[in-house]
Amino acid sequence: MTVRNDRRLVPKGTGPWSRLATLIQVLRKNRELLIGTLLTGFLIVVLTVPGVWTPYGPNEIDTSKALQAPSTAHLFGTDELGRDVATRVLWGTRVTLGMVALALGIPAVLGMILGLLAGYFRGPTDAVLSRAVDVLLSFPSMITAVIITGILGPGIRNGVLALALVYIPMFFRVARGATMAEANQTYVEAARALGVRSASTVSRHVARNIVTPIVIQFTILFPAAIQIAAALGYLGLGVQPPTPEWGAILNQGKNYLFNAPWISVFPGIAIVFSAVALSTLGRGLSKALDPDARR
Amino acid sequence: MTNRTPASRRHLLIRPLAVALTLLLALAPAFAQESQPLDQLYGAEPEGAQQGGEVVVGIVYEPPALDPVHQQADATTAITVLMYQGLAYTDWDGTIRPMLATSWSASEDGLTWTFDLREGVTFHNGDELTAADVKYSYDYIRSEDCGCAGSVYLNAVESIEVIDDFTVAFHLASRNSAILAGVADKLTAVFPEGYFDNEGAQARLNQTSVGTGPFMLDEFRPNQSIRLVRNPNYWQPGAPYLDAITFVSVPDGNSLLNGLRTGQIDLAQLARPQDVAQLEGVNGVSYQEQTSWVQKSLDLQAGGGATEDLAVRQAISLAVDKQEILQAAVQGYGQVIGLIPAGMQERWGAPLDELPMQGPNPERARQILTDAGYPDGVEVQITTIIGFDWMTPAAETLVSQLAEAGIRATIRRQDLGVWIDNWGARSFVDVTLNDWGTVPDPSLLLDAHFQMEPVGNDFRNWNNEEATELLAQAKQATDYDERYALYVEVQKMMAEDAITIPLFSSSIIAVERDRVNNYVQHPSGWYHGLIRTWVE
Amino acid sequence: MTTFLAQRFLSMLLTALIVSVLVVLLVHTVPGNIVQQMLGQLGASSTEARATLEAYFGLDRPIHVQYLDWLGDLLRGSLGESWNQGTPVLELVLRAFWVSAELAVLSLLFALVVGCVFGIVAAILRDTVADLAIQTFNVLGLSLPAFWVGAMMLVVASNVFSWGPPFRYVGPLDNPGLNAQIMFLPMLALGLFNAAAISQFVRDLILGTVRRDFVRTATAKGLSRSVVYAKHVFRNILVPLTSFSGVIFIGILGGVVAIEAVFNLPGIGRLLLWALQTRDYPVVQGGIFLMAIVTLLVNLVVDILYAVFDPRITYA
Repeated sequence: MTVRNDRRLVPKGTGPWSRLATLIQVLRKNRELLIGTLLTGFLIVVLTVPGVWTPYGPNEIDTSKALQAPSTAHLFGTDELGRDVATRVLWGTRVTLGMVALALGIPAVLGMILGLLAGYFRGPTDAVLSRAVDVLLSFPSMITAVIITGILGPGIRNGVLALALVYIPMFFRVARGATMAEANQTYVEAARALGVRSASTVSRHVARNIVTPIVIQFTILFPAAIQIAAALGYLGLGVQPPTPEWGAILNQGKNYLFNAPWISVFPGIAIVFSAVALSTLGRGLSKALDPDARR
Repeated sequence: MTNRTPASRRHLLIRPLAVALTLLLALAPAFAQESQPLDQLYGAEPEGAQQGGEVVVGIVYEPPALDPVHQQADATTAITVLMYQGLAYTDWDGTIRPMLATSWSASEDGLTWTFDLREGVTFHNGDELTAADVKYSYDYIRSEDCGCAGSVYLNAVESIEVIDDFTVAFHLASRNSAILAGVADKLTAVFPEGYFDNEGAQARLNQTSVGTGPFMLDEFRPNQSIRLVRNPNYWQPGAPYLDAITFVSVPDGNSLLNGLRTGQIDLAQLARPQDVAQLEGVNGVSYQEQTSWVQKSLDLQAGGGATEDLAVRQAISLAVDKQEILQAAVQGYGQVIGLIPAGMQERWGAPLDELPMQGPNPERARQILTDAGYPDGVEVQITTIIGFDWMTPAAETLVSQLAEAGIRATIRRQDLGVWIDNWGARSFVDVTLNDWGTVPDPSLLLDAHFQMEPVGNDFRNWNNEEATELLAQAKQATDYDERYALYVEVQKMMAEDAITIPLFSSSIIAVERDRVNNYVQHPSGWYHGLIRTWVE
Repeated sequence: MTTFLAQRFLSMLLTALIVSVLVVLLVHTVPGNIVQQMLGQLGASSTEARATLEAYFGLDRPIHVQYLDWLGDLLRGSLGESWNQGTPVLELVLRAFWVSAELAVLSLLFALVVGCVFGIVAAILRDTVADLAIQTFNVLGLSLPAFWVGAMMLVVASNVFSWGPPFRYVGPLDNPGLNAQIMFLPMLALGLFNAAAISQFVRDLILGTVRRDFVRTATAKGLSRSVVYAKHVFRNILVPLTSFSGVIFIGILGGVVAIEAVFNLPGIGRLLLWALQTRDYPVVQGGIFLMAIVTLLVNLVVDILYAVFDPRITYA
């Protein structure tokens, strides 16, 4: 039996106020969680109400105002169709982050379920599932995305699908590994010995314990996924015009790098900001949920 | 960066003169053509030209294969014209000039065209050019064995006859004023007799060229470069001046600009004409702006969907503001057009103010829609093609223009292969943006696209018998005035029915480093100019 | 060990074959084929021309016949010929692959060196300014898309230094100096991103290991800190690091298209993209098959290295 040098606080009461107090204390100690939550919170606000920050719409075309440098009227200038860059980037938050959230969320859930099944039941289930995942991993990711969008046609939904395929193996492996580790624990063997049915063992004990590594993996992968979404936009796949999306705006901006560099700056800032927000949140979460890994 | 005014200004002066001259020539019965002096072929001999040296040309679109007859993409023709030649070629001002034929004449009834061939021409493999090679090549292109898109240009030809070693006769089923354009550069070339009979001959074209042109293929590395070397046995004295040309594949427009800035690339046609603004202030480069024979257009589906109704098409035509789209798509580097490419407007274009249904007139568009039973407007889909940069801003601007007329449009991007699939099946949806054109012959331009089946392909399902008849007449007419009048009438019909809405022709901007001399950009976008280019 | 290897090879082959079947099905499902590209807009409606060309490429046969044909070629050691130019696919694909592989290896080495140094420093100097600086670098490095960083680098280089990497690719064996110039910037762009990833990974891993019991035991035994680190901590991070490096290597190869587009490298990503766009099926099939084999080989190498680094793992 190991002695846990655990400085986690034990709440004195269980009422809502003491829970809040606990939360605040956790946040104070866990700087990353605090910063991450604040930044992500800001992103969520922008995502929900992108229209309040500027007086323009994202598709207001006015070719007479094309390629204007940043000014008081247009904080980040205009693009080649005279649209306000800042507005398009703000509206693009929903698109890019939404795409990435789905592109990671679907494999997270799917990978978790499949990994759970493979890790718990082992045997032929594991063999088939692992083989299928190996096949998936053997496809070069971007080319697969191009093929998928070629078959299904360009568009957000198909872009998400293509991205999701890339990430299923990762979540599968995490879930499978965590399941196998958990499934070997004594309490599971004990439960099985007592005759508790597999399904309930799985759901009550094992599943609850693998959700944490999945969630952590999700937040860690998010910044990288934003990049792949941007790369897809750069290659001309993904969203349909005139939908604003950071990768697509970057793609467009590089054509005007010398006479209108401002088109490239703001989406770049947005990407960095989101990546910082989510990776900090991820690290904060992993610190908070896994006290053994004290940093 | 200096605008290469000497060359382009000289061009601006020469063009109207040449056009006037050509018009005069065209008024005379165009049955006979005197051979052009050799020092005028491919342009005049430049002063002070030095032999030797190499240039590196950056290309954005790589040819999938260096096959002038099986590959229709302009990216291919642009380079193969340096290696392969036809009986004639299209000069910078649009005139058909003798190439492998020195002269030609037509019979009284216009059904037999006799070509006198140039003597002393050898292929890259050493064979001498004779009439048998010409017969073989054009028969092959027309035949089913070829599977060549260029056969449509020769569909009036019934048979080809060898008269003697240096004379060949084309027997036509009906008169055809476009036959000369059909045996010129695009999709036709003369090969040694029997070349394609051997297995793997097509593929071998990518290792060894077998044309008669001034350059030969040295090496083709896919995704990297294409190297051409001077043909030491080329039949035209004096040309070419360059020892070798290396075409480097640079799909990214920005990398192309970087290459021009650092001097790693000597010459390039810009992927987007407006990119030239990004070379502002760079030393050692100059550029020329050339009117193009290619047009960017909206094509409408008359066979189904929202645009089947004439009223909807007319409303779209009235709602379009071509000048604004030109500005949005290429920042104004080009010209708004009527119904045919800018390079053809002077000779064959109907006057713009005589064309019906021209926008921008959103109120009238709304009126037409309401009268036709669409009081709440209508929904259409606009298709753009991935890889054509100008299409996205053009489509986005179009959406906002159509909105003013009560037409709600959504944009859908398609992969090129998928697009061609739909186009060939005549099943594209509603409105599509398109990029097309050829050498400036109105018959080659319009017939295949707008004549009903089985004569033409009628890609847009126009199903217009009158237009088909008029185009057939124009193809057979020999008098320039008569042809012009017929084509004007067809253009007015096209405009009235709004079956196609050509928007603009973008300028071709060719940028070159100072060491490159006398490169004159051909309006087709092809690299003819390199034949008279020299370097210090 | 040999039975293990034999089993793995068979397993690899099976996976690769499954991949090849999927590829054939997928590419044939993408609408349009090479014939349409050749005929273009003008010839698209000509049914005779289409029939001729489709027969020429064997596209008129049922899919399973085409696949078996391909398989037959494969058993004879050939991947067929490119439909665009007739060049043997194996030659095309290998030539392109070596370019991407060189980039991947160089980037990985760069990332490992920089990443390990940063990660170790950050771990040892935990919670100091150095640690904070390195962690900032990590977050930034991970956030900026590599291809975009690369594009910016090119712009700066050509504008500020009037320098650009040579356009025509030469291999490291043909002209190492020129090759180094070509590879320098893309290696940096990819390497920085992956260095950030490795740096963060190493730091977290070390700090995680340091808290483990056996380390505390070693420290309690009286071993000095550096010895503890050297003998116990580092050896324990080798296995996860190897695994991570494998993932990175595969990741680079999988996503290399964008970087190759920016830096004009004739790599496998660009080749496959171009082959896909022109519907050159033999090249697509051959290319993806090769990539699958490479991925599986890398996984195999990683597993073997596990056994090398951690004697507790055996494959008897």
